[in-house]
Amino acid sequence: MILVIDALNRDRFQSVIDDMFQLRARVFQDRMGWDVTVEDGREFDIFDNLDPVYLVALDDSYNVIGCNRMLQTTGPHMLTDVFQDILMGEPPLRSATVWENTRFCIDTDRLKQPGSTRSVSATACELMAGIAEYAYESGISDVISVVDPAMDRILKRCDNAPHGYLGQTVQMGKTKALAALSDITEERIARIRNFAGITGNIFADEDEVADALAARSTDDTMSPDLRDYCDEQIAAATTEHEKRAAVALRAALAQTIRSSSDIRATPQ
Amino acid sequence: MQKRIDLIDLASTPECQRDYVGHLNKLCDTLGVEHATYFAANPISGKMHGFTTYPDDWKSHYVANRLQEYDPTLNSASRSVAPVDWQRLMRDPNYDRVFKDAHDFKLPERGVTVPIRGMFGEIGLLCACSSVPQAEWIKLKRDILGSLLNNAVHLHDAVMNSDPLLKTLRQPKLSSREIEILQWVAAGKSQQDIGDILMISSRTVEVHVRSTREKLCTISTAQAVGRAVSLGLIYPG
Repeated sequence: MILVIDALNRDRFQSVIDDMFQLRARVFQDRMGWDVTVEDGREFDIFDNLDPVYLVALDDSYNVIGCNRMLQTTGPHMLTDVFQDILMGEPPLRSATVWENTRFCIDTDRLKQPGSTRSVSATACELMAGIAEYAYESGISDVISVVDPAMDRILKRCDNAPHGYLGQTVQMGKTKALAALSDITEERIARIRNFAGITGNIFADEDEVADALAARSTDDTMSPDLRDYCDEQIAAATTEHEKRAAVALRAALAQTIRSSSDIRATPQ
Repeated sequence: MQKRIDLIDLASTPECQRDYVGHLNKLCDTLGVEHATYFAANPISGKMHGFTTYPDDWKSHYVANRLQEYDPTLNSASRSVAPVDWQRLMRDPNYDRVFKDAHDFKLPERGVTVPIRGMFGEIGLLCACSSVPQAEWIKLKRDILGSLLNNAVHLHDAVMNSDPLLKTLRQPKLSSREIEILQWVAAGKSQQDIGDILMISSRTVEVHVRSTREKLCTISTAQAVGRAVSLGLIYPG
């Protein structure tokens, strides 16, 4: 499923953002050898401070398995700055209906682990469909994606071939980088969905993810007895309202336990 | 399919004669929305620009209560990349403060804010709202979103370029590809022909042409050719 995070809901998904920055460090520094800044195992740059929108792919247990970052081309974006080499010093294009995609990546290590129920290509396709659908819903006509040649081949293989390229392919770390242009149309969305066999809604419900993340963090802190009690309460809920109340209780208890253990940890 | 709604040209009107509110009124009529607002701050002078079609009693109430400091359709929405449906703002702690009052003034509660980010960190906001039922609103929004985006950037450019210093900073910078394509347009070639000549897809040609129009603050491609000729960027066709 795809979770959309921007400045308006970012405070609800700090742990997802943190996981995403760690994934980006593993992919762009370790695997691709790009000259990115990694601090404390997390890759982020000035464009992350410009309130971008992130599309994050999550698995069924809400682990981050892929991500992508989007910015408007009317304002500062990577092709005006760090990816200038691709444009050979030329000014970038500017359009209110064109967005820039950067930092597209998939957690191939996690997905290739034994027991993983999802494949790398299915995740890539879901993320690509998510990008196209989110942009389409936002009135966007085309997107520029800064990708490496391997990613460019994946785009083509998934019936999601770009309609053109900007500037030139440049060497970047252990790989190369190029800027691909794709139209955002119902036809493209249908092609990606058809190729990957995607049916139905792929976007995650914000509240559901926030609740699930809160529940997951409880599992790490609560005693087994208390956790079982909470789970029973949630399972016994007969209405949506009761279920919400039970989930909220579990989150509140976890919060209390966490903060009291913090107090204990403080030297007297 | 998105409706093709013509943009209303502002750049060709001399600054002193510009009627931004009249422009927004026209925009409401063409798009089928009730009210529209444009809001931006000049990044250098700090001057606020705000134009709206809202009735005067609401404007006075809004200003008297300093609602602009709380209004999530301006404050929260300005941090979004995508257009923001106001429904998404209901979670905002300041939502009730503004929307309860707006409700008392019988103003529409359904709306969308289109944020446009500029190169100098400035943000222009075009808001449009309507009282149609939810299902109809979803459909209406889908139809007009592309047009709202184009109108928002056009309005934003017109307002920002009214400042002499910003106008100098915002001199259009075309890439050699954009100039090359516009020169072929001036020579009377079609998008498809240009694609064939340059061995790129006609859609890629279209993206370049659209970007050129926007950089030159023009609505039609013919106007863009005219402006590029007058700026000495291309030769007359």
